Amino acid sequence: MRPDARPGWGLLAALASRDLWHDRQVSLCIVAALVAVIAPLLLLFGLKHGVVLQLRGELLDDPRNLEIRLLGNHDLDRAWFAHLAAQPGVGFVMPLTRSLNTQADLARDSQRFVADAEVIPSGPGDPLLGTRLAPPEGDRVLLSASAARRLEVGAGERIRLAVLRKLDGNSERGQRELTVAGVLPETAFSRPALLVPLDLLVAMEDFRDGFAVPALGFAAGRAPPPRERYARARVYAGSLDDVAPLAAWLEGQRIETGTRLREIESVKAVDRVLGLIFAVIAWTAAIGCVASLAGAFLANIDRKRKDLALLRLLGFRRIAVGAYVMVQAALLTSLAFALGYLAYLAGSTVFNRALGANLAADAFVCRLENLHILLAFASALLIAILVAAVGGYRAIHIQPAESLRDL
Amino acid sequence: MTPPLLHIENLAIHRGTYRILLPRLSLARGEVAAITGASGCGKSTLLEMIGLILRPEDLDRYELDERDAGAPLDIAALLRADRQARLADLRAQRLGFVPQSGGLLPFLDVRQNIALPRRMLGLPAGGERVEEAVERLGLRPLLHKKPAQLSIGERQRASFVRAIAHEPDLLLADEPTAALDPFQARRLFELIVETSQRLRIATLLVSHDWGLLRDCAIRRLVGVPEDGGGGTVFRDAA
Repeated sequence: MRPDARPGWGLLAALASRDLWHDRQVSLCIVAALVAVIAPLLLLFGLKHGVVLQLRGELLDDPRNLEIRLLGNHDLDRAWFAHLAAQPGVGFVMPLTRSLNTQADLARDSQRFVADAEVIPSGPGDPLLGTRLAPPEGDRVLLSASAARRLEVGAGERIRLAVLRKLDGNSERGQRELTVAGVLPETAFSRPALLVPLDLLVAMEDFRDGFAVPALGFAAGRAPPPRERYARARVYAGSLDDVAPLAAWLEGQRIETGTRLREIESVKAVDRVLGLIFAVIAWTAAIGCVASLAGAFLANIDRKRKDLALLRLLGFRRIAVGAYVMVQAALLTSLAFALGYLAYLAGSTVFNRALGANLAADAFVCRLENLHILLAFASALLIAILVAAVGGYRAIHIQPAESLRDL
Repeated sequence: MTPPLLHIENLAIHRGTYRILLPRLSLARGEVAAITGASGCGKSTLLEMIGLILRPEDLDRYELDERDAGAPLDIAALLRADRQARLADLRAQRLGFVPQSGGLLPFLDVRQNIALPRRMLGLPAGGERVEEAVERLGLRPLLHKKPAQLSIGERQRASFVRAIAHEPDLLLADEPTAALDPFQARRLFELIVETSQRLRIATLLVSHDWGLLRDCAIRRLVGVPEDGGGGTVFRDAA
């Protein structure tokens, strides 16, 4: 039986890799040239990404950077809050009472107390809580680190909240016993503060407005009307990039805002500058690399004309000989990328050890995500195969007769 | 009567103004013929055209017998249409080449070089005939050497085994003995002739060595100057 099979791709790849191994000195030169481009670029991009990520992380660690403070008192109803919550990029919204009514005295006993602590309404998703703490509920409240320090209390202990009012010429003191459910981390909020459910804050304002508030121990008098309107709001963006548009929307509602946009902008500027530096260096290196690769591949094909012609003589098709050249380029590039990645791992460890010493334990200076590695590998492979395709075009025009003559 | 394996009529090409013409050639299975003629008269060019690696300018007929099918394969049509891929497949399946000095791939050892044509066709690496030829040509101790480690004679022998490894119908050899000393040349020559006849491979080789051709009683296709000296015509020697 006459076999009709044609040379397969597996055989082609096996021949291509044997050829590279036989020619390993030249192969290693090409690989070394590629590593010399790939490793520094990975390190450079790792540094850029790591530094920017670190700066952004520091911004994100401080919830104030996501906060959009509403200046002054307003008249905000339920519909307005619904409207705000529907805006894109909103991370957390919580109604707030008039600014003077968000203060209260906290005491553990006569020795340990905090006068005029800030009382902040909180709920699920509050950036101040971080990822660890549960929101306040009922009598279970949270203290800021400085308030906890001054009261010398920890989780599980009880404190007393006191609010004063003048009603018909008499000073009255509303009081409530609360349990400390937890303490905020130091970085979350620097001043003495108490995180409470919104209804407790509303109760405080109602009390000051002269209504009967059983929750604070004053059941006599007029009951407060149902709460429909608030003077202010706590507003947090979902991410750093959402701060500016959200502030702009609030300004559009004729509400003046305060943000930390300047800090965010400076990090973005660092990102842009580093990005530009990286792009310029990357392009320079890539062009140099393409030129050197093109030279190496083309010279290699000229050196191997005889062998390529012989493959054609033995019955490999033109396209197979072109593919042979490209398979070799892909193999060399894969090896170079693996070595370059190892070099990157070593280099980034050095960076993170030396430069990361003054950062927190889990901090890093140089870092790449898996996606970056994958993209870098794909682009390196693409460039190498494109360059090899130029050589491959030359290779497919090698005549098989060249292998018969003048050897 | 069985049809010839190969039948060619009026195969021609110009090299500049110099014309190389083969009016007629028929080869039966197992038949050995030699292309001879003065240096530079176009022997290699003729061999390349018959070997499907050089496209002739004129060609009336080029047929290769198909063992199983009824009608012979019309190679002339494939050449005219420049069907490169199909011609490459034909080279892989039905032709075997012995270049002047081996033409072995430097990165494969002798065994891998010999096995390559069979692997290209998806055949098992070592056929019975390959093992037999390896034995007869004394290649057994050289199987794991790279071509660079071999003498020219050894390379030629390895190249010959590679050329017949996939049991081709037509073997083409371009001065396979040119680089060998007379003793080695004769030995290889005799092996080629004997093997071709035994395996029923039609063989066409370029050679200068008239004495050797005469001793082996090989049919000769002689290149003679065309009338006026503007080319060469290859005809069977009288």
